[in-house]
Amino acid sequence: MTLQEFFEETGGNYDEVMRRMRKEERVRKFAGMFLRDDSYRLLNEAMESGNCEDAFRAAHTLKGVCANLSFTRLLDSVSAVTEELRGGRDFDKARLYMSRLNADYALIEKKIKELTSEAGA
Amino acid sequence: MQKILIVDDAEINRELLKDIFEDEYSILEARDGQEAIDIIDLHKLSISLVFLDLVMPNKSGLDVLSFMNDRGYIDHIPVIMITGEATIESDLRTYEYGAADIIYKPFEPSIVTRRAKNLIELYQNRESIERQLEERTKELRKSQEQLAKNNEFLINALGSVVEFRSLESGEHVKRVKNISGAMLSSAKRLFPEYGLDDSKIHMITQAAALHDLGKIAIPDVILNKPGRFTPEEFAEMKMHTIYGCRILENFKQSDSEFYRYCYEICRWHHERHDGNGYPDGLVGDEIPVWAEAVAVADCFDALVSKRVYKSSFSFETAFSMIKEGKCGVFSPNIMKCFEDSADELVRAYSDSEDPY
Repeated sequence: MTLQEFFEETGGNYDEVMRRMRKEERVRKFAGMFLRDDSYRLLNEAMESGNCEDAFRAAHTLKGVCANLSFTRLLDSVSAVTEELRGGRDFDKARLYMSRLNADYALIEKKIKELTSEAGA
Repeated sequence: MQKILIVDDAEINRELLKDIFEDEYSILEARDGQEAIDIIDLHKLSISLVFLDLVMPNKSGLDVLSFMNDRGYIDHIPVIMITGEATIESDLRTYEYGAADIIYKPFEPSIVTRRAKNLIELYQNRESIERQLEERTKELRKSQEQLAKNNEFLINALGSVVEFRSLESGEHVKRVKNISGAMLSSAKRLFPEYGLDDSKIHMITQAAALHDLGKIAIPDVILNKPGRFTPEEFAEMKMHTIYGCRILENFKQSDSEFYRYCYEICRWHHERHDGNGYPDGLVGDEIPVWAEAVAVADCFDALVSKRVYKSSFSFETAFSMIKEGKCGVFSPNIMKCFEDSADELVRAYSDSEDPY
């Protein structure tokens, strides 16, 4: 899988990320780091325990990371959740939007693993 | 290498900025607001720039900005806020807290680099201009002080010329300055209606040095006469008040407060409250407080000093002679100041270098 294919399959923006980071090698490195980021796990924990403030903070962080990596599709779904959590606006709606976010995240997680294992191989 | 502090709770975001700057700068990292505060407190002004995330666990970006405001760092270290979304309210609030700039995710490395470099340069230029200004101000103040010192030196020298003619040491001028200064400090406290302040009192004591300036025009035979004056001689002696003013009038500065003090002290330091003084026979409030203070100081020093025509009195005798009106009548107010500053007056003599 090429890096461009990875971005096409996960709904990211390859051209944008390349314009900013210039080298594929650099994009791969940062994409690999994405799985180490805690905010997705923290978001799910906070959603389960009903802590809206923590959930907002984690969603907000995840959103920033997605923006920096041009993971556009995931950015959209996490933005939707973030806006419902901002100032405790509508927690139930946020929970509703989580299913789309979870699906988008699962796909990206799978594809990043493929991408990095190929690179390792 | 200059230091940049990167504060963000997401490792990827920190690494992205680090990737941009680590070749040219030494990078400090903080994962939340509290870590940032600790690092800023440790490295202080050696930090050239801070990238600061707004939303973070523990302490937020705004908390870090408040800390930097409280400690005064915000004026010296530029802070670039990193934020996920642009809303006018949060941007405004960020600027109100003193942030220098705001960048939005995703980072555009080329833009971020330019802004960072511009800000670092801007703040460094400002610091260097402020330092230069401080130095210039210091130099200016130093030369002003020197000028004031030179001024005082010249006034004292001029005021002492007459004393040297009468084979005295110049200490009389110093003591009249000190004594009238002490009495005017009492007046400032006891009688606020005179409107005296420290700067006026300083000017008046400078002017007091010239009180006998006109004696330069009195012939030696009168000035240094050991015995009593004839009426004609006394009339000539009294003229020193007028002669002093004539000398000053040659250099008249009509809008100068200092000139006014010099003139009025020269002219009226022999006036008395009951109108029995000279040259103008002023009565009561017509005599300005500065002329009265110098008059009392002049009498007191004359009493306790040895002169060609008399021996000296003790402090106690001199105090009671002045209070009893042996040297003419002074106003009740200036007598209160005289009593109030008695300890100061005696000190003027222990500080005096010469026998009196």
